[in-house]
Amino acid sequence: MIPGWLRRQRGPDAVGKTGVAGAGVPAGVDLKLDADDLNMCVQCGLCLPHCPTFRVTGDESMSPRGRIKLMREVQDEGAPVTQDVLRSFESCVQCRGCEPACPSGVPYGHLMEQARESLAEEHLITPRWQRLAFKPLSQPKVLQLGSSALALANKTGLVPRRLGLPDDLPVRQEPLRASGDDVYLFTGCVMDAWQREVHAAGKRVIEAAGFGVTPTNELAPCCGALQAHAGLAGETRALAERMMRTLSDDDRPILVDSAGCGAAMKDYGHLLGTAGAAAFSARVFDIQEWLAEHVDRLPSVAAPLDLRVAIQDPCHLRHVQRAHAGTRVVLRPFVREIVELDDDGLCCGAGGAYSVLEPELAGAIRERKVGVIDQVEPDVVASANPGCSMHLAGAGVATVHPMQLIDQALSQPQPQPVGA
Amino acid sequence: MDALLADLRSALSDDRVRYDAAQRSLIAHDASVFDGGVSGPVCYPVDTSEVQAIMRIALTHGRAVVPRGAGTGLAGGAIPLGAPVVIAMTKMNAILDVDLDNRVAWVEPGVINLDLSRHLRPMGFHFAPDPSSQQVCTIGGNVANNSGGPHCLAYGVTDAHVVSLEIVLPSGEVGTLGTLGPDDHGLDLRGAFVGSEGTLGIATKVAVRLTKNPPAVRTLLLSFASVRDAANTVSDVIANGIVPAAMEVMDQKITIAVENFVGAGYPLDAAAVLLAEVEGLEGGADIDAERISDLGRANGATNVRQAESDEERALLWKGRKTAFGAIAQIKPDYYLHDTVVPRSALADVLETIYDIAKRHDLIVMNVFHAGDGNLHPLLLFDARIEGELERVHAAGADILRACLAVGGVLSGEHGIGVEKQGYMEELFSADDLDHQNRLRKAFDPACRANPGKVLPMGHSCADIQALRAVPTGVWG
Amino acid sequence: MGASVLAIDDPVLHEFAELVGAEGAVSVAGGRTRWEAGGTLSPEAQVVEAPTGIVSYRPEEMTMQVRAGTTVAELDAALAEKGQRSALADRGGTVGGAVAVGESSVDQLGRGAVRDSVLQVRYVSAEGKLVTGGGPVVKNVSGFNLPKLLTGSLGTLGLLAEIIIRTNPMPPASVWLRCEGLSPARARDAVLTPSAVLWDGGATWVHLEGHAVDVRAEQKQLMTLGSCQEVGGPPPIPAHRWTLSPAQAAAFSASEPFLASIGVGRVWASAPQPALPVDPVAELIGQRTKQLFDPASRLNPGRTP
Repeated sequence: MIPGWLRRQRGPDAVGKTGVAGAGVPAGVDLKLDADDLNMCVQCGLCLPHCPTFRVTGDESMSPRGRIKLMREVQDEGAPVTQDVLRSFESCVQCRGCEPACPSGVPYGHLMEQARESLAEEHLITPRWQRLAFKPLSQPKVLQLGSSALALANKTGLVPRRLGLPDDLPVRQEPLRASGDDVYLFTGCVMDAWQREVHAAGKRVIEAAGFGVTPTNELAPCCGALQAHAGLAGETRALAERMMRTLSDDDRPILVDSAGCGAAMKDYGHLLGTAGAAAFSARVFDIQEWLAEHVDRLPSVAAPLDLRVAIQDPCHLRHVQRAHAGTRVVLRPFVREIVELDDDGLCCGAGGAYSVLEPELAGAIRERKVGVIDQVEPDVVASANPGCSMHLAGAGVATVHPMQLIDQALSQPQPQPVGA
Repeated sequence: MDALLADLRSALSDDRVRYDAAQRSLIAHDASVFDGGVSGPVCYPVDTSEVQAIMRIALTHGRAVVPRGAGTGLAGGAIPLGAPVVIAMTKMNAILDVDLDNRVAWVEPGVINLDLSRHLRPMGFHFAPDPSSQQVCTIGGNVANNSGGPHCLAYGVTDAHVVSLEIVLPSGEVGTLGTLGPDDHGLDLRGAFVGSEGTLGIATKVAVRLTKNPPAVRTLLLSFASVRDAANTVSDVIANGIVPAAMEVMDQKITIAVENFVGAGYPLDAAAVLLAEVEGLEGGADIDAERISDLGRANGATNVRQAESDEERALLWKGRKTAFGAIAQIKPDYYLHDTVVPRSALADVLETIYDIAKRHDLIVMNVFHAGDGNLHPLLLFDARIEGELERVHAAGADILRACLAVGGVLSGEHGIGVEKQGYMEELFSADDLDHQNRLRKAFDPACRANPGKVLPMGHSCADIQALRAVPTGVWG
Repeated sequence: MGASVLAIDDPVLHEFAELVGAEGAVSVAGGRTRWEAGGTLSPEAQVVEAPTGIVSYRPEEMTMQVRAGTTVAELDAALAEKGQRSALADRGGTVGGAVAVGESSVDQLGRGAVRDSVLQVRYVSAEGKLVTGGGPVVKNVSGFNLPKLLTGSLGTLGLLAEIIIRTNPMPPASVWLRCEGLSPARARDAVLTPSAVLWDGGATWVHLEGHAVDVRAEQKQLMTLGSCQEVGGPPPIPAHRWTLSPAQAAAFSASEPFLASIGVGRVWASAPQPALPVDPVAELIGQRTKQLFDPASRLNPGRTP
């Protein structure tokens, strides 16, 4: 028998471990990860193909199994946090595609968020410029100002194409007005600035089903998802508490048409660990998810849109909220054909700010997704997340929000009944 | 080390030759519990000529080479011993050609097993070997381990589905083994290569046979009040001349863990379930499904259910194929065995295995390819608890010996790796092992390819054993 | 420990090993039906015969342990009694001969290839020792695959003494069809798992086996595609065995009679196959293998697989 077989050599002197701290490499960072969560991974590797960064690199250090192993070595064995360890963590898109694939139910997303929070506290990741960049998100006026400037820059060709910003970024626009108080429509930050027409479409569709809609506008300026991804959990918590204060007058549902925001808001219960936060999270619905329960209240259309629509499930809708079935239910009556992508919902590479921070990996991941889309030859790709839409549009893919398709189908002139 | 790295980097590129501590630490592991690996430089070649260059450079520097696919092996076959050059094949993942006239596909070894079948689906074909890890394991890994899977009961294991291979020998020479035809011109070196666990060289292109997708599939789930009833049903099915596509048994503990994950409707109160699948044409599939149901009932099946949709069928299989991973719900570590016994001995051997686990105060679960007598006892433990490992180790040895005693073998599909080389002498005589070693030396006279694996110490490449003693610090 | 597992307790095998000995050129004769395969045996070679008899047959395991000198006919008769068969073709020879030559049956698509059905081999090495490769069960990856290496090696690496072979249930129904106006490729594509699709340059022969209901359905299907008649069996099989790719075999033509096995790549022709280019690396490994297994070249001198 080989010595070492069946011997987990846990401890700093184990062979083959991440090595010793050299000059300038911090040792002994406490990642503050839950020991039981961390220990759940049995290293079976079933997550590997569901990880977009492993898919495009074939590199174990860019896989969930590899990242968890490195977390263990840092936390349990005091391995130093080298540049390569940081690279492993920072390259994660946080799409959480690995979670549904994991038979052991390892809470990878929470582990990665906690690891990043601990590393950000040590100022090992998320440099000052990034932290500053997240500031305007929670300040709608500043964001609108910046956005207008960006829109102008985009129109004059100062913004690189690969960022995929829409050509018609609004330079100036009016906020949406309330039509009733049945549901909230969360309008958020970047999306409200750049894709307000999606909110408008969603609002009209919900109204068409007979519900009055209150856009959250300045009541809830930002969900904190991007900050959480960057390890700035303190800011996320502050934003969550602020939103819960302003939206808790009654218990009406809060509909979200951005999958990333919806996932973050559904996670407030875990983030804040309070009963109030859990109750708030329970009121949050993806707009398609909620509408799927009320689809019979939408008017029927005589002619669905003559389109072959491929559904691209945003990771935070499919893997995190696990609520992607609703998109099909609500779209089906309004388009000619729905086609599925044959890639188990692999990430497109957008990942919130990921496509800006990791353009090379994000581009490679997107290339893969575009190949899968091309296979089914759709007229248009429906994506329930603005980040995915913009990222895919940057590669020339025609994208649209599901709500915009329904809105369009509903607003088409309907054929007049014969003899009317 | 610097010279070796410099040579490798000039042959590949800086970013595809890794030597950082994090990378080496990760590459020192696979999906097994073996923890004694030490990795040297990790190379990510993109074509045959780069693999050839790596081989030659390693040879020049007196280093061994170890190939690696997805790292899902359970016997430690891909674990580097003694800081060898690791050749990670994951970037060589192209499906090169699907040749329907010859019913073969030429693929690079890094292609994921399920990706290949998915690619072939619109053409009406698939790659038959379907290991439980098929969503992640690579064709190269399948070749190295001669992988099986549930459906190998009817279709045969990997060596029946690999017709030809381009290989790079440890000396750096590139050759082709096997032909697209029924046999080789000369010895069946292709057959010898498949299952050699990376000790004969590295496959860089693989021609795999395409299997036609059957028009009819019937999936049955039979519940039993005892594991013995399930096992007896399996031997009765075979004895009655039925060869189903697959016959898998799971005991109650693993069924509960699996059901928690997939929610496929597995019964939680059955002592064992038998998942049986028959394929072919509509008429015959119905006949076989009916006969298996009858044999199950005759053996005391408490319930027989047939999957009614593709979705239901897929969910049942997802449960079966992710069973090993699901156990972390119960304990954080597992040691998965792999042995084969005669099918008629299944019921008795299973009883013995439960007794052994009880004696060592361990939880054991059984999930296995019952149709070919391929057992997978799963011992659960928590490595953090003092003494558990030792008990697992002792129980594992008892289980292996119990299987050998009834005419079984050491491994049905996971391979020997570093896990079972210590037991090879209990299955083979010194002369047998000597002949296996001659085969190895015909491919790799200098013992450069994955040394220290398969054959026990003293039988092959013993000089390499010394390398293991080298402390990490010397290289790092 | 484990001695009972390892010990070969069949005295007949030990007698065979003594007969082969450790010195001098030696060959083993079976039915001599493929005696010229791989070249002409050197005249100085002593010719011995392999031991005969079925050692154990476990139909419920679908395995048969048989001494190499047993005829394929005897094997088939024992199997038929239990409704089973094997991948070996009965050409009047022995089990050892069939495995040493590695020639599969005309029904290879249905019965499997010989090289995939040999589970364990016991052979006498050039040193006169009994060696076991593989194992007695139907699935096994314990160690290097000596059964694959020995199958088709024409006795040049060791002389086969005993074999464990995988058996299969005899299908309940079987029909041979001879079809005209139906290309062999089309016939092959039209059915799911034929046991044989043969092409003689004029007609396509299809062997359907399985459940009666399936055989009837596929027969009906073929009859809509061409003019098919039930026949008693395959046409006469020419003497010379060619190895081609399945695509080449399907496109084979010759002025003399031939029979091409579609989907396999085997062609039986009236003339020997011209020498093919050999992969130099495979040749090198083959030479080294021979050198390591039989350094004095005493086993079947004159023959090359």
